[in-house]
Amino acid sequence: MPLVEVRALTKEYSKGDQKITPLKDAHLDVERGDLVSLMGASGSGKSTLLNMIAGIDRPTTGNVVVDGTDITRMSRSKLAAWRAQHVGYIFQMHNLIPVLTAYENVEMPLLLLPLSSAERRKRIEIALDAVGLADRADHYPRQLSGGQEQRVGIARAIVADPAVVVGDEPTGDLDAESTEQILLLLQRLNKELGTTLIIVTHDPKTAAIARRRIRLEKGELVEAGAPILKRELQRA
Amino acid sequence: MPRFIRFLPYVLKSLWRHRARTALTVSGAAVALFVFCFVGSVQEGLAGLTRGQQAERTLVVFQANRFCPSTSRLPQDYGRTIAKLPGVADVVPIKVFMNNCRASLDLVVFHGLPQDKLRSARDLKLVAGDWGEFEKRQDGALVGRAVAQRRGLASGSKFTIGEVTVTVAGVFASSATEENYIYTHLDFLQRTRGLNSVGTVTQFDVKLAEGAEPQAVAKAIDEQFRGGPIVTDTRSKGVFQAKAVGDLVELIGFANYLGYACVGLVLALVATTTVMAVQDRVREHAVLQTLGFSCYRIFSLVMTESLIVSLVGGVLGIGLAIVVLSFSGMAVGTEGVNIAFTASVGLAGTGLAVSAAVGMLAGLVPAWQAARAEIVASLRHV
Ligand SMILES: Nc1ncnc2c1ncn2[C@@H]1O[C@H](COP(=O)(O)OP(=O)(O)O)[C@@H](O)[C@H]1O
Ligand SMILES: [Mg+2]
Repeated sequence: MPLVEVRALTKEYSKGDQKITPLKDAHLDVERGDLVSLMGASGSGKSTLLNMIAGIDRPTTGNVVVDGTDITRMSRSKLAAWRAQHVGYIFQMHNLIPVLTAYENVEMPLLLLPLSSAERRKRIEIALDAVGLADRADHYPRQLSGGQEQRVGIARAIVADPAVVVGDEPTGDLDAESTEQILLLLQRLNKELGTTLIIVTHDPKTAAIARRRIRLEKGELVEAGAPILKRELQRA
Repeated sequence: MPRFIRFLPYVLKSLWRHRARTALTVSGAAVALFVFCFVGSVQEGLAGLTRGQQAERTLVVFQANRFCPSTSRLPQDYGRTIAKLPGVADVVPIKVFMNNCRASLDLVVFHGLPQDKLRSARDLKLVAGDWGEFEKRQDGALVGRAVAQRRGLASGSKFTIGEVTVTVAGVFASSATEENYIYTHLDFLQRTRGLNSVGTVTQFDVKLAEGAEPQAVAKAIDEQFRGGPIVTDTRSKGVFQAKAVGDLVELIGFANYLGYACVGLVLALVATTTVMAVQDRVREHAVLQTLGFSCYRIFSLVMTESLIVSLVGGVLGIGLAIVVLSFSGMAVGTEGVNIAFTASVGLAGTGLAVSAAVGMLAGLVPAWQAARAEIVASLRHV
């Protein structure tokens, strides 16, 4: 059974009498441990899809099933609790909380889980170590470089050991060198921890680390190397 | 331990980030609660005049149709007649002398009592000086703690108001009302040159016997002297005191509105700050929700912030007010009766409850907004 199952997902926005349909009847399966890149023109609906997989946006019709749970049917508060346990989100602009240290930022999602402070400490140390910032635990975001901030953001996304980690253009704001580092890090997380990753990007270099590359075109998902027709035949 | 303690560092750091704004709001709340407590303390003092055993079980016999104590002159031998009436346990003749009959923040009232009656009729605890010294000295005076604080009086110092000069033999603690009196010997006040009142007193305090009906005894006393040279007017001490300060009551009622206005002010102040704090952090709250914070959690975070600002301000203002009230001995008086500004645990409790309620009320709308915000739209917020 795939870890993430996107079924007939449609998202519509209506502005006045004009209708925008960034996603139309989209299907997608993501296997456990996969690393998927999602490309597409600006405004093609990449973020929209990712946000629905992460449970922070709701589809107009269709379903998203993660790890056997249909998250489109959950109440708002149940969904929040689900996110805390099952999803890590890497933002484009790291979105760290400025008043908290790197350590405290990474701790935030753990505060929602029934963990003692010793258990939290262990996990945070592992996460910060994984992103190579163990020595920066007490630094505030303003004392870190852009690349370091993004690494703290990644540590925060993986610290609760979620089933799936999504990233919305996680290298979009970074210089070439930092981008390189982040890509290596994401690859390592996928290989060594077996983290399932879905990364939205418009940078071919970022897409290149993926095992599966998917494009969004006119509201539909196209698998690189496997024309959509072939997949439909497979499914039928 | 409740889960929310875990989030307290985040809340405190968020407040600290905008410390100038937080400090301004906290001090605004402190000033408002300070005023609120001051107004409340006058209210308490007023209530103190009509409350308790003294106010209900003691009658005051005064000359009819006189208001200011300096105009009431009753023959001292009325006391013997009153003492014989049924329902009367004890009669205390009192000569009153004071510096001012009009409303004043510095009303000094001397009560001259027979030496043997003072100890039994009043519940005074000396905090300085001693009874022996008072009893020995003709011009000895026992000064209430509030007067001593106001006037900077200590044991041994001399103190003059008009024609009366006394030597402070002791300072006493008692109820807030009592602490505004100065007690002297009755004959000393009567013989003071200029007062010229040997054989007369200002009033009698009549202690009722167990089970005696105050109204009935008061009526019997006035009945007794109806045809005499000087007609009396007898009321319970509570009613008597309330009537004496009657002119001030309206003013105090007006001051109450000031107290309510202060509460409104804190509400507006804290609400503004909390709204600003929420607007500053639209995206931050959306990030927290993305991490799995529920609406309820966000709501309580904002409420906690609002509550802390209001409570810290409240505690500062209330604390300062209690200190000032306790050590300044402030009172407002007229016609020989002082309303003591009374700082009490109850008042502090009321202040705290008001602070807490205002903090919650102020946080309600912004907390609701933060909790209900759409995550995706808020993440795009700059
Ligand atoms: N709240 C909204 N209201 C109306 N249109 C929206 C809203 N959010 C996104 N859209 C539209 O949906 C489309 C897809 O947006 P998005 O998923 O952000 O694109 P991408 O991430 O691929 O650049 C865009 O055309 C965008 O204008
Ligand atoms: Mg996007």
